[in-house]
Amino acid sequence: MKREHHQLLLNAADTSMASSFTGGGGGGTSGYSMVATTTPTTTGKSKLWDDEAQPGGGMDELLAALGYKVRSSDMAEVAQKIEQLEEVIGNVKDGLSHLASDTVHYNPSDLSTWIESMLSELHPSPSFDPMAAAALPPPQSLDDSFLTPAESSTITSIDFTDSSHQHHQQKKNIMQKRQDNMVFEDSSSSEYDLKAIPGKAIYSQIQQIESSTSRETKRLKLSSGCNPESLSPSSIGAFGVPTESTRPVVLVDSQENGIRLVHGLMACAEAVQHNNFNLAEALVKQIGFLAVSQVDMLQMHFYETCPYLKFAHFTANQAILEAFEGKKRVHVIDFSMNQGMQWPALMQALALRPGGPPAFRLTGIGPPASDNSDHLQEVGWKLAQLAETIHVEFEYRGFVANSLADLDASMLELRPSEVESVAVNSVFELHKLLARPGAIEKVLSVVKQMKPEILTLVEQEANHNCPSFLDRFTESLHYYSTLFDSLEGSVNTHDKVMSEEYLGKQICNVVAGEGVDRVERHETLAQWRSRLNATGFTPVHLGSNAFKQASMLLALFASGDGYRVEENKGCLMLGWHTRPLIVTSAWKLGNKSVIAQ
Amino acid sequence: MAGSNDVNLNESKMVVPLNMWVLISSFKLAYNLLRRPDGTFNRHLAEFLDRKVQANANPVDGVFSFDVIIDPETNLLSRIYRPAPEEGPLLNIVDLQKPATSEVLPVIIFFHGGSFAHSSANSAIYDTLCRRLVCICKAVVVSVNYRRAPEDRYPGAYDDGWTALKWVNSRSWLQSKKDMKVHIFLAGDSSGGNIVHNVALRAVESGFEVLGNILLNPMFGGQERTESEKRLDGKYFVTIQDRDWYWRAFLPEGEDRDHPACNPFGPKGKSLQGIAFPKSLVVVSGFDLIQDWQLAYVEGLEKAGQEVKLLYLEQATIGFYLLPNNDHFCTVMDEISDFVSSD
Repeated sequence: MKREHHQLLLNAADTSMASSFTGGGGGGTSGYSMVATTTPTTTGKSKLWDDEAQPGGGMDELLAALGYKVRSSDMAEVAQKIEQLEEVIGNVKDGLSHLASDTVHYNPSDLSTWIESMLSELHPSPSFDPMAAAALPPPQSLDDSFLTPAESSTITSIDFTDSSHQHHQQKKNIMQKRQDNMVFEDSSSSEYDLKAIPGKAIYSQIQQIESSTSRETKRLKLSSGCNPESLSPSSIGAFGVPTESTRPVVLVDSQENGIRLVHGLMACAEAVQHNNFNLAEALVKQIGFLAVSQVDMLQMHFYETCPYLKFAHFTANQAILEAFEGKKRVHVIDFSMNQGMQWPALMQALALRPGGPPAFRLTGIGPPASDNSDHLQEVGWKLAQLAETIHVEFEYRGFVANSLADLDASMLELRPSEVESVAVNSVFELHKLLARPGAIEKVLSVVKQMKPEILTLVEQEANHNCPSFLDRFTESLHYYSTLFDSLEGSVNTHDKVMSEEYLGKQICNVVAGEGVDRVERHETLAQWRSRLNATGFTPVHLGSNAFKQASMLLALFASGDGYRVEENKGCLMLGWHTRPLIVTSAWKLGNKSVIAQ
Repeated sequence: MAGSNDVNLNESKMVVPLNMWVLISSFKLAYNLLRRPDGTFNRHLAEFLDRKVQANANPVDGVFSFDVIIDPETNLLSRIYRPAPEEGPLLNIVDLQKPATSEVLPVIIFFHGGSFAHSSANSAIYDTLCRRLVCICKAVVVSVNYRRAPEDRYPGAYDDGWTALKWVNSRSWLQSKKDMKVHIFLAGDSSGGNIVHNVALRAVESGFEVLGNILLNPMFGGQERTESEKRLDGKYFVTIQDRDWYWRAFLPEGEDRDHPACNPFGPKGKSLQGIAFPKSLVVVSGFDLIQDWQLAYVEGLEKAGQEVKLLYLEQATIGFYLLPNNDHFCTVMDEISDFVSSD
């Protein structure tokens, strides 16, 4: 049948492995040589592996372009492992379904380790340690000499331990009263009250942000007061130095607004790792009463309407939970203590641990409240209430600080790490330190002194810290456009206007702020990775279980709205369609031999 | 027999470069994990494992890309790839949809493969392939992120393809200067090739002009077990069993593989006689177990008096076009380039 057709038979004599058609320097012979390679030295080349695709790194460049990290010298061995795995799967009863449903997968880009870990799942060999195999080379030591002394600021220590009963009892009476009024609201009003971290940014005058819609493109127009230069599209001329960074753009082509309901938070059931909706409902009510009035209304509203903070808390808690496995006494140090919204879910999860909960200590660090109230104190009381109802031994201390850089490890009264395991948590906070020289280095150094099991970090995925105004403008244009588009699903105009106003302030700070006033210094995962690696931290990978739960959380809270979870070298990114917006990463100290699950 | 191993594994290793063998074998491994015997699909694990790549409005190797939600109702996204201008400042958001200046600009609407269930427009393997197509064909490529099985069965993917076709056709910035019309070609591999055929059908029925169809290892089938399926079962990464699974996941429940979506020239197929169907370029790999169906497709087109060119690559396996380090890749790219420029 074949022979009768017009055909082009090809005897592919050269399909043996020896022939490689890597473009690179090959040039000239055919038009596609230029696209077959990723030579990192030239600007504008594709960089899937920003820090690793060096010619000397030995990575197979073609596979690297497709997202797989395999050393050329390891290729044969990886192939052999694949064959071995296929055979083992064939021999082990239910091997495939075990690997599919029970096994947690990590960092699939590292093919060799991925295959190896599946092999050892089915065919345990005592000598192989997948986590050790994936470990990065030992970090360089940090030179402390450049750290500048922090400015003085007020730090008050508010100490809440169960041992101070009288104190506790007084508070309890007050709380009881409030609780009667607030805890058992009917479900329609018990919304998950999300409050974000109040920034200390000083915003310029302009508030109103309009997003105008052309037929096909959504553009951001900042009103004239925000920036001295006129911002009409025609004035966007040549940009500054072309960056090598990626500029992901998602446009919405719409003739009309799609109206989607964004449902409020239903439960933290997924966060608890057990599908217990009664528990989740109770949790929601408790979260409701944690809310305190004196917060930045716009921020709070923004985080209620969007799933970002939910995702951040959820994924960070997942990593912390896993890091605390088997520990009897745990201590969370929260750099982003605001209303403590992240902690009820973690506490519940700890309460439900097989074998019982650990003793849970929380140190909450936050800036002074705008109305000078003791808000950190209040949050602590409420969490103590919760702890009591779920029978978790609880200890709390709040620290008010103008900047994280004002902290020293000695202030925290840390216990020896054999006695108490520490997790440090920072959600949308660390980037603010980049406004002052030396601050981030000081803080990371202090974190190291805390000897944490894990550092959980959530940050905006954007490059908003370029020195050039025009670069920041371009980057933030794309980022916030996407955020605005994701808001189109908001149920009412009021929500949208409030969210846009909040984002508008942030945009002003990004684009028009300068010096120490510009605190919204968002940087990308690649930049944070680089910084943390250099400081002596190594990644703790978030796996397929965390990914799945985060995806399911999104389906619960923001179903059909275009939000997506993506895995990137062990980190989880939340994005809108194909544009990542925030990233959760987890870290441990490089020289520790602790293996995170 | 699927999975009966030693001899078979060595055979496939002989005919592809080692890194390609590793790549395709890893996919095969992952895909085996994702298909459940009860017909459901482990979508969360699939999305976790799939390597994705962001669009990039900054030109890389002469190509820039951006994503568009072309239908907010269905959240249908497409990734647009364009040749970067020779010189000048970096493009801003306004320039992305700037009108093309070419007299003749081929616009290739691309449907990625994955047997209707796997991959996305932003999968790294397809992002890379589309970028290559832009360079080689001096074309704009629109990669459609169509709905996938088993969550969305027939005709979801075809509907999305049709939406994309109408959208592309109505973009003034994609028109060729010569005639102020959009010069549309449809291209796709595996299930994408199948989608090409079906979207072309709809286009013809509705009076839309498609200048050509490019089908790379297109996914077709039928109830019958053909000689090539029996001969090559399990030998080159693919098994009859997995093919059956994907058809069961895509076709309407209760339908068998003689459904016209699967078997367009089978007992339930319709004749293309006398229809102004676009010319077709069909690429068939000699180690693809479904080649008999692909060849039957070509024959069906010929019998209906339609213009079709068959490119039969004797020593090629599935997925050869994912990496450029083989002669099949070069040959196919040359052919595609000629195909879209001969207007």
